[in-house]
Amino acid sequence: MELSNVKTILATDCGSTTTKAILIQKEGDEYRLKVRGEAPTTVEKPAEDVTRGVLNAVGEVEELTGRKLIADDRVLVVEDENEGADIYMSTSSAGGGLQMMVAGVVKTMTAESAQRAALGAGAIVMDVLASNDGRLPHQKIEAIRRLRPDMILLSGGVDGGTVSHVVELGELIGAADPRPRFGASFQLPVIYAGNKDVRPNIEQTLGEKTSLYVVDNIRPVLERENLGPARHEIHNLFMEHVMAQAPGYSKLMSWTAVPIMPTPAAVGAIIQTIAERERLDVIGVDVGGATTDIFSVFQKVFNRTVSANLGLSYSISNVLAEAGLADIIRWVPLPKAELDERALRDRIRNKMIRPTTIPQTLTELIIEQAIAREALRLAFVQHKGLAVGLKGIQQERTISDAFSQTMTGETLVNMLTLDMLVGSGGVLSHAPRRVQAAMMLIDGFRPEAVTFLAVDSIFMMPQLGVLSTVMPVAATQVFERDCLVRLGSCVAPIGNGKAGHACLRITADWPGRGHVEEEIGYGEMVLLPLGVGEKVVAKLDPVRPFDLGEGKGQAIETELEGGVVGVILDCRGRPLHLPEDETARVDALGRWLTALNVYPGYGEQRTA
Amino acid sequence: MKNLTRAFTVFLFYFAATALTAAEEAEPPVTARDVPNDAGGAVDITWLASPLEKEEGFQGYDVQRRAPGKEAFETIAEITPGEAVYQDKEAEDGVPYEYRVRALPAEGPPVVLGVSGAAASGQWFNTRRTNVLVGVIFVTTVIVFFIYRAKGGAELFVRKIAGLEAVDEAIGRATEMGKPILYVTGLGDASEISTIAAMTILAKVATKTAEYETPLIVPCYDPIVMMVEKEMVREAYAEVGKPDAFDEDSVFYVTTSQFGYVAAVDGIMVRERPATNFYMGAFYAESLILAETGAATGAIQIAGTDRVTQLPFFITACDYTLMGEELYAATAYLSRDPLFLGSLKGQDWSKAVIITAMVIGTALLIVSVHLGTGFAKLFETGAG
Repeated sequence: MELSNVKTILATDCGSTTTKAILIQKEGDEYRLKVRGEAPTTVEKPAEDVTRGVLNAVGEVEELTGRKLIADDRVLVVEDENEGADIYMSTSSAGGGLQMMVAGVVKTMTAESAQRAALGAGAIVMDVLASNDGRLPHQKIEAIRRLRPDMILLSGGVDGGTVSHVVELGELIGAADPRPRFGASFQLPVIYAGNKDVRPNIEQTLGEKTSLYVVDNIRPVLERENLGPARHEIHNLFMEHVMAQAPGYSKLMSWTAVPIMPTPAAVGAIIQTIAERERLDVIGVDVGGATTDIFSVFQKVFNRTVSANLGLSYSISNVLAEAGLADIIRWVPLPKAELDERALRDRIRNKMIRPTTIPQTLTELIIEQAIAREALRLAFVQHKGLAVGLKGIQQERTISDAFSQTMTGETLVNMLTLDMLVGSGGVLSHAPRRVQAAMMLIDGFRPEAVTFLAVDSIFMMPQLGVLSTVMPVAATQVFERDCLVRLGSCVAPIGNGKAGHACLRITADWPGRGHVEEEIGYGEMVLLPLGVGEKVVAKLDPVRPFDLGEGKGQAIETELEGGVVGVILDCRGRPLHLPEDETARVDALGRWLTALNVYPGYGEQRTA
Repeated sequence: MKNLTRAFTVFLFYFAATALTAAEEAEPPVTARDVPNDAGGAVDITWLASPLEKEEGFQGYDVQRRAPGKEAFETIAEITPGEAVYQDKEAEDGVPYEYRVRALPAEGPPVVLGVSGAAASGQWFNTRRTNVLVGVIFVTTVIVFFIYRAKGGAELFVRKIAGLEAVDEAIGRATEMGKPILYVTGLGDASEISTIAAMTILAKVATKTAEYETPLIVPCYDPIVMMVEKEMVREAYAEVGKPDAFDEDSVFYVTTSQFGYVAAVDGIMVRERPATNFYMGAFYAESLILAETGAATGAIQIAGTDRVTQLPFFITACDYTLMGEELYAATAYLSRDPLFLGSLKGQDWSKAVIITAMVIGTALLIVSVHLGTGFAKLFETGAG
């Protein structure tokens, strides 16, 4: 069927625990989400067939719409106005997703490029092997044997570059004689994407012991990264090896019109599509139970990182261990004396062993959201470390560089140019109040100047991601109209000052409020209501030494967009420092939460 | 408060009385005294100008000396008119000489102005250099303080030096490209501070090349520097447990001819195509020739020199340049050794204090000149 004639799209995402199905239909010239259904994933016993879960989820969609979508125990794909779908596609992260090891010669060069290639393809990178990683050969062999990845990406050396280091890495993999996680009778797929002169040596070393695939070098020269071929091969192998081994996937693959994508790769694809079409710098985050994925597009460069040890259920104890209890408690508007630290630790560990539990009291919710703030912050620190420019490239200098010799490999993440911050995952998408999600995003990422905040309403970014590979316009339309819950703009001046001093002056003609001229003091937050789709041209005048990107004290005129929350004026300064003093901290948190009405009635509840 | 006022009044009276007494005391016509703050062997003789100076044809003065037990005075100097001071540098320590100054009129016999006695002696401490002592004590104390702080585990902040941060990256580049690293320590000899700094950086670079198993080429201008560098590189390879990987021929002598050396190094660059070039140490006219050739071969280049005249060439032709003292700070920066870090921090703080004192002193001096407060006297060292 011609893609331009597609009117009904069915897409599923087979997650570790839940399979989600969405039905998109064309109304006039626009594609819109019709309904969503979900059912438990059935990869494991007793069903051991992923298609059972898919059919159950699609069955729910069928019931809700009254449109026949299942026939002969499979998804019905027919060109019919009244039944079936015109096209069906799916993503998958069931069974732990795609788990990879990558190897390269220098950790910050080809090994890092390999890591970016694997992460961008939607994999979880279990370990990075490099000639200079400080481990002895037997330790590396032991790591390969112990981790049992789904596949290994081997890179190293520019074309015409080092041979000995790459051969040595190949020999280490060969010596480990690795076995894949699924399908004991199969050989482990190894993708070689290194120095082309070493291909014969690698074929000789790994050709018989592994299932070897050779693609173009990911760093043909140090000045350029060529991640496409490696990523493409990872997708192919994901289908051929990982998916084909997982229960029911061969059947599912025969139903889909486009290859099944790993869920994170699909989320990355939709973020990239949006950034490209709208020419935006975007950050997307998906806080899961076990991992936190961050996607970013800055200067048209896409990056994805997975913080495999930061999550809000299975990995919640890791967040506690990495951030420390003090950093979590600092977000709770209660004096430390009122918090029983031991009980708090127990509560957090309980969440780890009972991941499906949800907060029962408001205090529990506040604590969970405090942990989410720290998980976001830590994951973002990791992301900034990997979303960097290429290292080891020659630079051109002039005499003006004498006192500012910039280095290569600086982070690409620039909060000043960030246009949109999109949150996803239960804690953000299902927060009882949208303003709570906005606060978590602001406190976790600390956006600077003017940034638009949004959350994924029902976590349909994976399905839209796979859709964007064939129908980018349809994916963008649904993303903007049905997927995104627009929270509103956040204005945050950079700099720090003295409490009570003026920080920002705003002048605008505000819908429903007339001419607004407000001055906000340093350390304060203000919420100005502005509905979804409403826009205001405002003059934002930061008071020296504060800066909105144009220089200290320089005013800007910009368009602020509203949302379900409104426009948030965050004058707490950047970098954001919470008061050290206990009373001042509780007082400040109380003021901010009250100003934005984050937890209505919480103050009264405590007093009572 | 009352006591304070009384003390101040007493001080004023004492000050005025002393000034009055000094004014009333008649100054002797000739004064001989030991030169203060010296190593001995010298006596200063001063005298009041003779009224004969106003007469036409006045010839000047002669200064005479008489050792103990001698009958006659012996002329030791003849002084032109208008001068009234002479330093006898031939005096023996501890001998009480008598000095006589005579005015020499145009005609007639010399007129004796007066006689004065003095013995030369050396002093243990030159009080005019008290400021230097204070400075040395201050700087030493600050350095020792910071060394102890560093040893105690305190985090001493050292600003990021891009050229040194890039060392790993530069070696990584050579490793990925399968090319050698070229390390040039300049034209200085082993006694130059910049060469010593360059050698310590070489030791660190060699440790990394040993870890990465990347070839290192060190062509030397000075044979003694070569010997030292060879040992340092050998030790670096041994330190990371790869003594066998050390190539004896990697550190070699070229020539002590400036441009012969440059030609040889350029030849290496063009033939071997090193991925990374380091230029650390003392450089002269050859700096731009080396850096330009290296840039043309596509190498990452890190330079460091204390030769101000060569810095612009390195800055424009190299990827990273360590300027002046950054080169000296490299050892502390790379090793993070508390001893070096403490010294670096101590020196920086001392310099900051000295510069601040200079700025304040200059300001006060300017004020003093315009307002005539006499503050300038504080800055008179009395040397000479």
